[in-house]
Formats: sequence, structure tokens, C-alpha cells
Amino acid sequence: MKLLSALALILGLATPTLAGVDEALDDHILPGFTAFAAATETLAQAARNDCRAEALRPAFQAAFDAWMPVADLRLGPSETGALSIAFWPDPRGFTQRTLSRLVAEDDPITSDVEGYAEVSIAARGLFALEMLLFDPEFAGYPAGSTACELAATIAADLDRQADALAQAWRDRFADVLRTAGEATNATYLTEDEAVRAIYTQILSSLAFTAEKRLGGPMGSFDRPRPARAEARRSGRSLRNAVLAAEAARDLAAALADWKLPETDAALERVKDAAARIEDSSFQDVTDPQARLRIEVLQQAVQSLSAAIQAEIGARLDISQGFNSQDGD
Amino acid sequence: MRLTLPAALATTALTALPAFAVETSEVLGTYADIAEAKYEDSLIAARTLGDAVAALIEAPSAENLQAARTAWLAARVPYQQTEVYRFGNPIVDDWEGRVNAWPLDEGLIDYVDGAYGGPTDENELAALNVIANPTFTLSGIEIDASDITPALLQDTLHEVDGIEANVATGYHAIEFLLWGQDLNGHGDGAGDRPWTDYAEGDACTGGNCDRRADYLAAATQLLVSDLEWMAAQWAEGGAARAEVLADEGRGLSAILTGMGSLSYGEQAGERMRLGLMLNDPEEEHDCFSDNTHNSHYYDGLGIRNVYLGEYTRIDGSLVSGPSLADLVAEGNPALDSEMRQRLMETMMALGRIKTAAEAGFAYDEMLARGNEAGERLIMGGVDALIAQTRSIERIVAALDLGGIDFEGSDSLDDPSAVFQ
Repeated sequence: MKLLSALALILGLATPTLAGVDEALDDHILPGFTAFAAATETLAQAARNDCRAEALRPAFQAAFDAWMPVADLRLGPSETGALSIAFWPDPRGFTQRTLSRLVAEDDPITSDVEGYAEVSIAARGLFALEMLLFDPEFAGYPAGSTACELAATIAADLDRQADALAQAWRDRFADVLRTAGEATNATYLTEDEAVRAIYTQILSSLAFTAEKRLGGPMGSFDRPRPARAEARRSGRSLRNAVLAAEAARDLAAALADWKLPETDAALERVKDAAARIEDSSFQDVTDPQARLRIEVLQQAVQSLSAAIQAEIGARLDISQGFNSQDGD
Repeated sequence: MRLTLPAALATTALTALPAFAVETSEVLGTYADIAEAKYEDSLIAARTLGDAVAALIEAPSAENLQAARTAWLAARVPYQQTEVYRFGNPIVDDWEGRVNAWPLDEGLIDYVDGAYGGPTDENELAALNVIANPTFTLSGIEIDASDITPALLQDTLHEVDGIEANVATGYHAIEFLLWGQDLNGHGDGAGDRPWTDYAEGDACTGGNCDRRADYLAAATQLLVSDLEWMAAQWAEGGAARAEVLADEGRGLSAILTGMGSLSYGEQAGERMRLGLMLNDPEEEHDCFSDNTHNSHYYDGLGIRNVYLGEYTRIDGSLVSGPSLADLVAEGNPALDSEMRQRLMETMMALGRIKTAAEAGFAYDEMLARGNEAGERLIMGGVDALIAQTRSIERIVAALDLGGIDFEGSDSLDDPSAVFQ
């Protein structure tokens, strides 16, 4: 599989139609980061008023929803910036361990919004907040406690990150993509390279959904792994998979300036498959019937990827570049 | 000559070339020759390590433990240079978890410090300590570990319960048995296992010294036999060599896939940037021995010597031949210059990390929260590796390898076929 997924495949001939880098930025990427920054602003404000878990959950869910359209980009400012907003998967439990230590030691950094950017990414961003707001080990914390203060600090730090990321995309990196092929552009030497970079993000996201968001909890037939479901504590595992698939389709539609009927049909099949899944956090994956329904969703996500490859990749004669998830 | 066929002629990069002076088959031959030499060197060095381990077990002493550590460090030099063969060659990729799996929950193997914690959500065997426990229970079944043998490690213990962090074999298991946990956090110093962990009778520390010695001997034997197997795959008539030489396009794709995947997702991403962003002193590749700077450096060197078609063996001799660099330069000299430049910049950046570490600023110290100098050093390596990945992608494009061995390549050639 690695050989296939990693194969850097490529721009052969000159692109027949210049695909929509501007549209991808203006219709999907930039509005996505702006909306995420607005949602984290609301979350941080809510946390300033009341940092207890129950009070914060609605704004947390809204912020996570806003993140998903841009969550899987690993390009420009998001190459590194996405990791401290959403550190997952976490097979060795860094988030739980790091948060436990910060709370137990009453580390002064827990109330230092400025300094918090130096903290391990395991204790920053959406998944750290999820642990505090939903995990029984933490979620019962009272107002005025270290954990409560920490939740507010993480929310404020997340808001700062969201602002910085939106700004970096808007003021800096969008132009790098738009000016691909111009003499002054050292990142993308041809227009094709910018198209390929965005196209790679779409396919990488779908592969991540199939292999990690769905394949993680599926484990093997004999040994399903419900604890590996993404954002299971907040009941978002299924929702994230669907939102990621929708984001892939939207970005593909922006990149193409033609209709994508097979892609649209494939997305409908993803939604149909998702609608048949009963447990939104995949905790029923240990039941063979339930596992099968997740597997059907996984296949639908893979078909969506195949449709995008056929309707965009083949038409532009491009293939994906190296994927940040390659490796082990 | 496959690349002179019409598809390649249509690319601007290659239009001026009626024929190549550099034969792709020769380039692939050099690639296989270098693989053979690297795995042979790894095997030679692992045998030396095996001798040192046998001496330690025979006559435990501080000197013999130190000699074994020195042999382990030397063994890493050729092995890390082989990692560029991983992602592009399924034979290597399917095998490498036996010899270089990382990260590991070392509590599976031996005693650990209290701060390590017990079983985790993900891994109920994270603190098993098989050296201290001749039997243990897994999913309700009792496992007999009374004899510590290569078979026990390989067939029962390695990745037991389907958990990748249950690393029972390979360099890092041996590293843990030679150095022990590094309990210095972000401070100076590596693991400091006392030699008396292998002492006999009352002098034994850490308990079960005989079982620990059995474990170390078994793990070292396995490393040697695994490397023997892989060296044979690349020798004349070996399966890995045959696969690379079977198809020129696939062979070139294997070279470039290995270079790009190791540069980007694996080394820049998983091993360097992630550890830095986690600020965890043990989130480094060679965490027990504090040898991570060398692991990264020799990984980078391996990528470079595959491109240039030149490898200096551990006896100082040179293996070289027609290279991917020659092939690229023939069609696109500017791209070849760019690639060489990027590879050199990576080696400079990784060299800065190595130099600083050897001068006393250890890699785990660079990872500390708020350590700006360390962050700059590590991100310098990350950025250089990402930049060289972009050049590797350009080479794949210039050689027009798109579609070869690509999942769904039929669909790329004939999109409508997908939906029939």
C-alpha cells in the first residue's frame, strides 16, 4: 500500500485547462479559515465567561465543525500550524498524560495565554480541550479550579492560533499559490505545481479519513479498536469523517471549473453510508454488523477519492505528490 | 529504452533527447548494488555487535558493556543509510519493522522507572516486563515466556496484541537493553544502565540478570539473521533486486518514492517536527543512547547517496555507478543542480544538529519547551527535507513516471472505465 499511496505521480504534460487555484482559495480555503477564526473567538469568549465543561461544549462543537473544512490541509502555514490545532492520532496518550501533569503540578503556564504557545502540542488545540470537556477524568472540574483555568487558556490559545493561521493564509500564502509560475515564485515553479499541491491535499485528506478516522477504530476483524476513534469523547467520530468528505468534494469542485457528476454522486453514497451508522463515536465497532457498516462507509470514501482522481486528476493529467502522512 | 517512447518525448524536459547515454537499467543496477553493500555492511556491523554482546554476557563488566554500546553505535551508521530503501520497496517495507521499529513501550521488555506508568488505554502490555515475568496473560490466554528465545521475541512478543509500540526486537530493543531508560529529561546524559544488570549471582542488579542476558542475546541473534535475509534479497538473484530491475519505470518510481517518503512524511514529519512540537525528551528516535542526531544525519546521507549513486562502505571502499543524478542531468541539468543543491542543504542542516549534539547539546535538550536554539536547529532540518521533497516531485514529473504502478492507473488512462 505504501508504494501505491506514496507514489509521487505527477504532472506529465502541460495542463489542458488551467484549474481554479483562485477559486480553491476564494471559495473554500480562505473563507474556511475566516469562519474557523470566528468560531474560536466565540469559544474563547464563552470560556472567559464560564470555563466549566458543560458551558463550553456547544461552542467547542461549533469550533470543531468550523475546523473540519480546512482540517486536513498540510500546505503553507498549515504544514506546521495544523498540528498544534488538532493533534491526533495520539496512540501513546500524550494528551492525557500532559494535561494530567499540568493540572497536578498546577503549572503556572495553565493561566498564561501568552506563554502557552510553548507548551507541547499534546496539550493544545481541539483535542486537548476535548479531553478536558468530555473525559470523566477531567470534565467535572469546578469553576476556579486549575483545570477550569486551563480550559480557558487552551481556548484563548486556540483562538490566537486560528487568527494567526487565517492571517498567514490570507496575507502570505494565498499569493504564493496565486503567483505560481512567476519568476519571483520560488515555491511553485509552474502553475501546474500549485494545482498539484491542492489536488494532493484533497486525496491525502480522503486517504486519512479512510485509513485513520475509519480504519483506526475498525482495527482488524478479530481486534476492533473503539478507543482509536477520532474525537470519540465528544461523539464526533462519524461527523468528522462526513465533514472531511464534504470538504474534499467542495475543494475539488472549486479547483475544477467544470461539473463533477461522479464526484457528487460518490459524496451522496458517503452520506447514505454514514446515515446507516448508529453510534456516532463508533464505539459499537466491536459488533460485526456495526463494523461492516463502517467498512461500507470506508469504501464509499475510497470511491469518492477514485471519482475525484478520474474527474480531475485524469482530466488535468496530474497525480498527487508526496503526502505528509506517508511514513509509519 | 522506455523513456524515449512517445510519452516522454512529449515532455518539454526530454524533447531534445533522441537517446540516453545513461541507461536506466544501469541506474537501477547501481541502486541495487548500493542496497546490497549497505545491507552487507549492516550485517557485518551487527555481527560485530553480536560478538560484543557475547563478550558482555560471558564476562559482565563496565568495559564490556561500553564495548557493546560502541558496537551498537557503529552498527547504526550503515543501517540508517538503508532507510531510503524502505518506502519504495515492499520487500524492505514489510520487513523493516522487525529491525528498526520505533517508538516503543520499553516497559514491555524490562523494568522501567515509576514515572513511566503502567498499562495504558491503548496498550495493556506497556509495562509487562517480560524479563521479570516467565508467564503472562494476554486476552485471557496464558503465555509461556519461560525460555527467552529468538522465536519467542519474533513470533509471540513482537507487536503482541496488534500494538506497534510493543517492539520486542531490533535495534531499539537492543539499545534499551544496553543503555536503559534516559531519566535525565531534557538535561545532560543518556540512559545509564549499570553493567551489573548483567552480573551473576548476588551482584545482579535490576533482577533476573540471566533472563536479561538471554533477551539481549536473542534480540542480537535475530538482528543478524534478519540482516542476512535482507542482504540476500539484494544480492545477484535476490528478490528485491529482481523486482527493481524488472521494470524500468517501476524501478525509478521505487527510488524516488523511497527518497520522497523518507524525506517528508517520515523524517521531517514523524521523527523531527512531531517530536519537537511535543516537547517530549523521549520523543526522539534513539532516545536511550542519545544518538538521534546520527540517526537523522545518516538517514539524510542515505537519501543523498542513492541519488548520486555513490556509497562509501564501512571499510572505506566506494560503490558507485551510473546514477539517477546522471539520468536527470542528461535531460534537465538545471533540475539536477537544484536536486544536488537541496540534498547538500539538507546535509548541512542535519550536520549542524550533529555538530551541536557532539559538542554536548544533546537532541533531547533541543526538544525542550521554549528552547529556541534547539527549535531552530531541528526546524532547519525539517525545512530542508521538505524543500528537497519538492525537488524530488519535480524529478518524478520530469521523468514522466506518472501513472506507473499507480493505484487505479487504468482509471487515469480511461476515466469512464471506472464507472462502468
